[in-house]
Amino acid sequence: MANYEFKLPDIGEGVVEGEIVKWLVKAGENVAEDQPLVEVMTDKATVTIPSPRRGVVLQTHGSEGDIAKVHQVLVTLDVGAGGPSAAASESKPALGGGNKSQPVSARRDAAETNGGSQGGKVLATPVTRRMAREHGLQIEQIVGSGPQGRVTKADVMAAIGQGAGAVATEKMVPSPIAPPRIGPPSPLTTSRADQRVPLKGLRRRVAEKMVRSKFTAPHYTFVEEMDATALSSSRSRLNESLAASGSAEKISYLPFICKALVAALKKFPTLNANFDEATQELIIRGAYNFGIAAATDEGLTVPVVKDVDRLSLRELADEIARLGTAAREKKLRVEELSGGTFTITSLGQKSGLMATPIINHPEVAILGVHRIRKRPVVVDDQVAIREMMNLSLSFDHRVIDGAIGAEFTYALIGFLEHPELLFLELR
Amino acid sequence: MIQSTATALPSRAEDKRGLSLAQLIEMYRAMLVIRTLDERMMTLQRQGRVGFYGACTGQEGACIGSAFALRPTDWIFPALREGAAMLMRGFPLVPYVAQVFGNRGDLAKGRQMPSHQSARSVNQVSWSSCIGTQLPQAVGAAWAAKLKGDDTVVLAYMGDGATSSADFHVAMNFAGVSKAPLVFLCQNNHWSISVPSQRQTASESFAVKAKAYGFPGIKVDGNDVEAVYGAAAEAVERARARGGPTLIEAETYRIGAHSSSDDPTRYRDPREVEEWKARDPIERLRRKLLASNQWNERRDQELKEKILAEVNAAIDEAEKLAPPAPETLFEDLYAVEPWNIAEQRQELLAYIKKA
Amino acid sequence: MPTLNLVQAVNDALRLEMRRDPRVVVLGEDVGKFGGVFRATAGLYEEFGPDRVIDTPLAEGGIIGAAVGMALYGLRPVPEIQFADFIFPAFDQLVNEVAKYRYRSGGQYACPMVVRTPYGGGIKGGHYHSQSPEALFIHTAGLKVVSPSNPYDAKGLLLASLRQQDPILFFEPKRIYRAAKGEVPEGDYEVELGKARVLREGNDVCLISWGAMVHEALAAADSAAEEGIGCEVIDLRTLWPLDIEQVIRSAKKTGRAAIVHEAPRTCGLGAEIAALIQERCFVHLEAPIKRITGWDTPFPYALENEYLPLAPRILKGIRETARFVA
Repeated sequence: MANYEFKLPDIGEGVVEGEIVKWLVKAGENVAEDQPLVEVMTDKATVTIPSPRRGVVLQTHGSEGDIAKVHQVLVTLDVGAGGPSAAASESKPALGGGNKSQPVSARRDAAETNGGSQGGKVLATPVTRRMAREHGLQIEQIVGSGPQGRVTKADVMAAIGQGAGAVATEKMVPSPIAPPRIGPPSPLTTSRADQRVPLKGLRRRVAEKMVRSKFTAPHYTFVEEMDATALSSSRSRLNESLAASGSAEKISYLPFICKALVAALKKFPTLNANFDEATQELIIRGAYNFGIAAATDEGLTVPVVKDVDRLSLRELADEIARLGTAAREKKLRVEELSGGTFTITSLGQKSGLMATPIINHPEVAILGVHRIRKRPVVVDDQVAIREMMNLSLSFDHRVIDGAIGAEFTYALIGFLEHPELLFLELR
Repeated sequence: MIQSTATALPSRAEDKRGLSLAQLIEMYRAMLVIRTLDERMMTLQRQGRVGFYGACTGQEGACIGSAFALRPTDWIFPALREGAAMLMRGFPLVPYVAQVFGNRGDLAKGRQMPSHQSARSVNQVSWSSCIGTQLPQAVGAAWAAKLKGDDTVVLAYMGDGATSSADFHVAMNFAGVSKAPLVFLCQNNHWSISVPSQRQTASESFAVKAKAYGFPGIKVDGNDVEAVYGAAAEAVERARARGGPTLIEAETYRIGAHSSSDDPTRYRDPREVEEWKARDPIERLRRKLLASNQWNERRDQELKEKILAEVNAAIDEAEKLAPPAPETLFEDLYAVEPWNIAEQRQELLAYIKKA
Repeated sequence: MPTLNLVQAVNDALRLEMRRDPRVVVLGEDVGKFGGVFRATAGLYEEFGPDRVIDTPLAEGGIIGAAVGMALYGLRPVPEIQFADFIFPAFDQLVNEVAKYRYRSGGQYACPMVVRTPYGGGIKGGHYHSQSPEALFIHTAGLKVVSPSNPYDAKGLLLASLRQQDPILFFEPKRIYRAAKGEVPEGDYEVELGKARVLREGNDVCLISWGAMVHEALAAADSAAEEGIGCEVIDLRTLWPLDIEQVIRSAKKTGRAAIVHEAPRTCGLGAEIAALIQERCFVHLEAPIKRITGWDTPFPYALENEYLPLAPRILKGIRETARFVA
């Protein structure tokens, strides 16, 4: 009998801990090599961690909902006296590079292989399937967060857009972590009773990040409007020529905004930076990696477009689209969620007049983009109809003075109002 | 040719119980009806017009002679070959034949195989094909009659094979203990399908078995309808007088196959059949009638033709009837239809409607 | 209102109905002077005499066979099979005769009777004094199957059964013959057949049980409540035809169901109930339907507490069902 301690590996850049979402094995169970052991949610992603060894589970360490530190023992296996999988090096218990970037979606595949005969079908209970059907959702389009990747009622509720709060109105949210306490039957009181919904998973990560950002970085927010008429017509002309060349592709405003940001940030490099709390240093980043905040069924996710400065408008458009889809389908890889230098939050159709974006810690600035609308404005003492857009930028006041932030904003607006200026920046 | 068993019963060989000629003719007619019907139905079976048939041929004397000893209020618990008793006791031919066709003229709505007739109107209950099960039931009915103070007697039929069943023992024992007013009539036709009667018991007879249960058992020539009647009448009389049960072994012979599905040439000597054909109960009674002044070949022929015409008419009429309505499949299961039966009935009807 | 135990309630019902209906006769082994090995027929022989309280020879096939004839002839026989384990010599009579008689005669004849039999384990009865063969009879079209869990129901269900036109298997949970005590009204009342009773309401898991296991299910439901799991506990009372409406109502309400029975799991009534629920409530289901049952073994002597689905095992099943992620 040989015991093997499997430790939480370093599964992504800078990840130091993960929440144990779901144990997929229990003590006494035989596990095969590569059999999923546990689902762990880091502040980057949820990953299923497969067993590096074949053996019998002697003990699982930590309960669902507990935080496990990297290199903390997760599972103790009895791997016998030199079984066939002994080749797996004990000196490398952590997953190798390949595993490090294991797609989140692999959870389902692994579980099905494990289960043996799912035949690629989505796992979901009948009630969950009905709920999806009644809301016009295809269950295949919903990524499951339950055991073995099962699509849960909560997943469907999230997909419907009602989020965690709506889930709480459901009669019962069985949870492997803490089954809700439901008292004696009393229909009247159940409908009026307060509900306590524990923060779990991504929601907990989002909450923690927001708190950290807001309580470590003193924010100030700067709002200005800009005239997007030229940008709009440039974009229209580009899309028309794309269409004329037979492409179905359409480029949104975001790639233009990214390019303008690169140009502006080059003038104000301290805004393309991370702040290291430990050393109290500002790390001015060489790369231009922009986080694009995306609302997903489970909560806020920020995939990162790498090397924005090196991508063409079309490449940027493709990459933003790809990451957006991956985010909704929860297929983002860990590295696609990390390494950002600056973040854009596109506030969409219901974007309001202004907002106070929260900086994506440890970055130092964030740009909120509002909707372009035709508004009457004064141009050359005449009231003219122009396509106007507001920008809301938040800065970490510890390192970015108000004047710098304002100047940066006007530089950015300059590029956006006169997109031809970007030619000057081309290399 | 009645052989007394080891009981105290005196031989009744000469006791014809004062049967009048009219009564003999009545029995003769009843035997001819079933003989004619059996011949016609076996033909129909071979033509594929009915699915199955079990004939009484050769055993008419045992069946008719015993049933003739009953009052209309008495009950019969039949086995396979006692449909003739129903007809003799007034059950019409058309519904009888409709049972063989299994159509909507059948009182039992085509639910049982052919030759499983029953009719409350003549107090003949339903038989299940399960050998011997009717015997304890017959005891119960007789016991009930006794408890209710009725003078009903129950006549329970069985074949020689049934005496091997647990239910035979149970019934004989219950009957002996309860002194229920019933008569067991074992038609020892020598064959339980392919197994001869000496493979059913090592007893000197079937009748002797009654002794162990504490009541009389007698063996009678089953092909002598008058002798059968005599033995049955005495047993019925004793039962009615609260004298307890009797077992009658009527020794007879199954001239035909066990059923339309059987081929007896594979297991028995045809010479044995020929020997028994010479002791045919109908022919014996016919000869006796002809010996009297009041019966002759012309009347005999007229009777046979009349019966054949009646049987053919009944077959014509019964065969025309439609199969049972599909919904009857779900009737009579419970006094009040439960939900599962209602659902399944609707399911079948909807399926039929679509198809 | 007097407090009776379950066997006294049975006795009370028999006595009342024998006084009311002269067609009712009791027959079986040791039911007469001795009053039955469990005393269910105590005092009846003295009151009604040997013609109506009949000690039969020792043969279950004869008891039921004779009861068939009695029923055909117009009596209301109440045969007692001393232990349900001994019912099998009468299986042919029950399955091939009693169940089919009305049907096979096209409604000309019927066999209304109430076959009473003590069943179930928990009395150190080993293989042959412990079995729960209810499913075998439910599988047979033409029979009804009833099992009370308490004295009130025992009397009311038995009185109702004695007035039915159909043959009924009345399974009495002998483990609680004396342990189950309760107030039982004097005089006549019926508990309608085909109606289940909700003994406890809850929103999370619906427990369906009958007979002695109802008490285990209730105990488990109490424990589950302490853990925040609300159980709805249904006592079927009539096992067949069961109260499909109540079962479905509760299954839809909770989305999670577990069936508790002593009989072996495979092809037990629990399997049928699970099938009915999934057929009718499929889109409401939040968890697999659980069967918490005796094992697929003969009923043991020494290990009967390991065999029976007692409260702790039921509680485990409740937890698993409640925590299944939908």
